[in-house]
Amino acid sequence: MRQPRHAALLHAVLMVTSLAMVFPIVWVFLTSFKTSQDIIRATPTLLPEKWTLENYASLTKTAPFVRFFFNSLIISGVSTIFIIATCSSAGFVFAKYRFRGKNFFLLLIISTILIPLQTYMIPLYLLTRWLGWINTYQGQIFPLIIMSSGIFFMRQNILGIPDELLDAARIDGASEFGVYRRIILPLSASPLAAISIVNWVYTWSMFIWPLVVANSEDMFTMELGLMYFQRQFITLYGGIMAACVVTLLPVLAVFLAFRTRIIEGIAFTGMKT
Amino acid sequence: MSSPDGVGSTSSVAVGAGVAASAPARRRGGSLQALRRNQLAFLWWIFAPVVSLFIIIRVIPIFVILIFSFTNYSITKAFWRWTGLVNFERLLTDDNFLAALWNSTVYVLVAVPAEIFLGLLFAVLLSRRVRFESFYETLYFLPYIIPMVPAAIIWKWIYAPGSFGLANHYLELLGFGRVGWLTNPKIALLAVIGMHVWKNLGFFVIIFLVGLKNVPPDVKEAAAIDGASQWAQVWRVELPLIKPIILFGAIMATIWAWSAFTEVYIMTQGTDISTGTEIAVLVFRIYQEGFRFYNMGYASAISFVLFVISLLFVLAQFQLFRGWKEEGA
Repeated sequence: MRQPRHAALLHAVLMVTSLAMVFPIVWVFLTSFKTSQDIIRATPTLLPEKWTLENYASLTKTAPFVRFFFNSLIISGVSTIFIIATCSSAGFVFAKYRFRGKNFFLLLIISTILIPLQTYMIPLYLLTRWLGWINTYQGQIFPLIIMSSGIFFMRQNILGIPDELLDAARIDGASEFGVYRRIILPLSASPLAAISIVNWVYTWSMFIWPLVVANSEDMFTMELGLMYFQRQFITLYGGIMAACVVTLLPVLAVFLAFRTRIIEGIAFTGMKT
Repeated sequence: MSSPDGVGSTSSVAVGAGVAASAPARRRGGSLQALRRNQLAFLWWIFAPVVSLFIIIRVIPIFVILIFSFTNYSITKAFWRWTGLVNFERLLTDDNFLAALWNSTVYVLVAVPAEIFLGLLFAVLLSRRVRFESFYETLYFLPYIIPMVPAAIIWKWIYAPGSFGLANHYLELLGFGRVGWLTNPKIALLAVIGMHVWKNLGFFVIIFLVGLKNVPPDVKEAAAIDGASQWAQVWRVELPLIKPIILFGAIMATIWAWSAFTEVYIMTQGTDISTGTEIAVLVFRIYQEGFRFYNMGYASAISFVLFVISLLFVLAQFQLFRGWKEEGA
C-alpha cells in the first residue's frame, strides 16, 4: 500500500469492521455497570449514566455463582492436566517408536479429529450412566481427557527432537519414562503450553456435555448456571450481563496473556475435540 | 491393545542407530533386550492406557451410534429390540426432523461461504503489510475465543424485539423499520446464522492470514515485476498458493455449521419461537429426542444421518478443491 489514500481507506475499513466485531463484547461490559433503570431506557447509551457494581454484588445472592465458577475451574483444570499427560506421551510414542499397528492407531486418531462430540453424545451418556457418573465431576471430565488433534499436534512437534538426544540419555541409563520426563517434556514445553491453553479455553466454554450430564445446581458449570439464570430471571438484565462478563472474563484474560500461543494452537487444532 | 505384540519387530527408537546404540548400552550392563523391555513397559503402562481411553470415549461410541440407530433403545424402557429400518422410515415422515434437516442445510449453505469469503477478505486486507496489524487481528479474533453461551445471550439481547434491542435501535437510527429478529420465523434462522458467523469468523481470518504470510516474498515480487495488479496478485498468485488452508477452513466451517447447537438452544428460549421448529437444527433434534423424550434409538438414527451427511459434504469439498487445483495448473 504505497499510496497514502489507499492506506487510509484500508485502515478505515479495518477499523470499522474490527470494532464492529468486538462491539457486542464491549457493550456487555459497559451494560454490566449500568443501573437497572439505565439499561431499559428507550434510547440506549453506550456509557453508563452512573457506574455501579450492584449487578455484580447481586449475582451471588440470586444463584450460587461462586460454586459454578469453581466447578468450571475444577473441570477445565483437571481436564487440562490429563490432556498434557495423554497428548505428550502418546505424541512421543507416535513420533519416536516403531511397531506394527502404530500407523493404524495414528490414522484412527486423526480421523476422529473431524467428528464432533455432538454426534456421539448418546453412547457417551449411556457409558457415563453405566459407570454411575451422572451428575459428578468424573462424568463431566472423562470425555475431555483425550484430544485427538492435540495428540497429532504433539507428534508433529516431537518428530523434530533429534533421536541422538534420546539415545544419549538411554546410554546414560535413563529409563523410557526418564527419557519422556527429562527430554521429551522439557523440549516440547512450548507446543504443550499451546495445546493446554487451547484445551483449557475449550473445556471452560463447553456447553452441551455439562447440559447432558449435570442435573443438579451444585454440579453446574458457569455456562450451565448462566443459561439457567438468564432463563429464570429473564428481567434481571443487569445481573445477566454481569454473569456473562464473569463467564467470559477468565477466557479473555487468558487470551490476552497468551495471545500468540493461543493463536498458534488454535490455527492447528481448531479448538474442537 | 494390540500395540505391544508388534513391538518385537523393531522396538528401537532410533532404529537406524540401533546397533550403535546397543553397544554402549551393553557396556553399561544393559543390552538391546533391556532397551526393548524398557520400551515395552512404556508402551504397556502409558501408551496402551491412553489409546484404550481414546478407543472407549471416541471410537466405540461412534460404532454404538450405528448399532443403536437400528433399535428402539431407551433408558426408560426395560426391553429394547432390533427394529431394522423403522427409525429411518420414521425420519422420512417426521416433519420435525425434516424441518431440522432443512434448517441445518441452510445453516451450512449460508454460514460456510460467508465465513470463508469474509475470512479471506479480512485476511487479504491484513496481509498488505498494514500498521497495527496484530491489533486488528486481535479484535477480529476476540469473538471466537469467548464462550458461546454468554455470546449467544448477548446476541439474544441485541436481537431483542422493539426499540429495546440494539439491532432495532440502530436500524431505526438509520431510518429503517424494526425487524422481528428472533420472532419472525423467516428471519430467525438467518439471525442465528449471522451470530454464528460473527462468532467463528476470527478463526478463519487467523488461519488464512498465517497462510498468506507464509507465501514466499519472491513469488509476490515476481508477480509485481511482471506488472500484475494488486488484485491479480491476490487472485492469481496468493490464493491458489493457500488452497490447502482454504480447504481446511472450509471443512472446519462445514463441520461446525452441521454441529451447531448452543447458539440455537440459547436463542430459542424465551422468544416467541417457543416450539423451536423454525430454527431447530439437527443437533437440537438429537438433544430433544435423546435427552428430553428418551428415544435414544431414534436420536441415534438422527446422529447417524448427521454423521453421514457431514462426511459427504467434506468429501465433496475435497473433490471441489481437486477440480480447482487441476484448473489452476
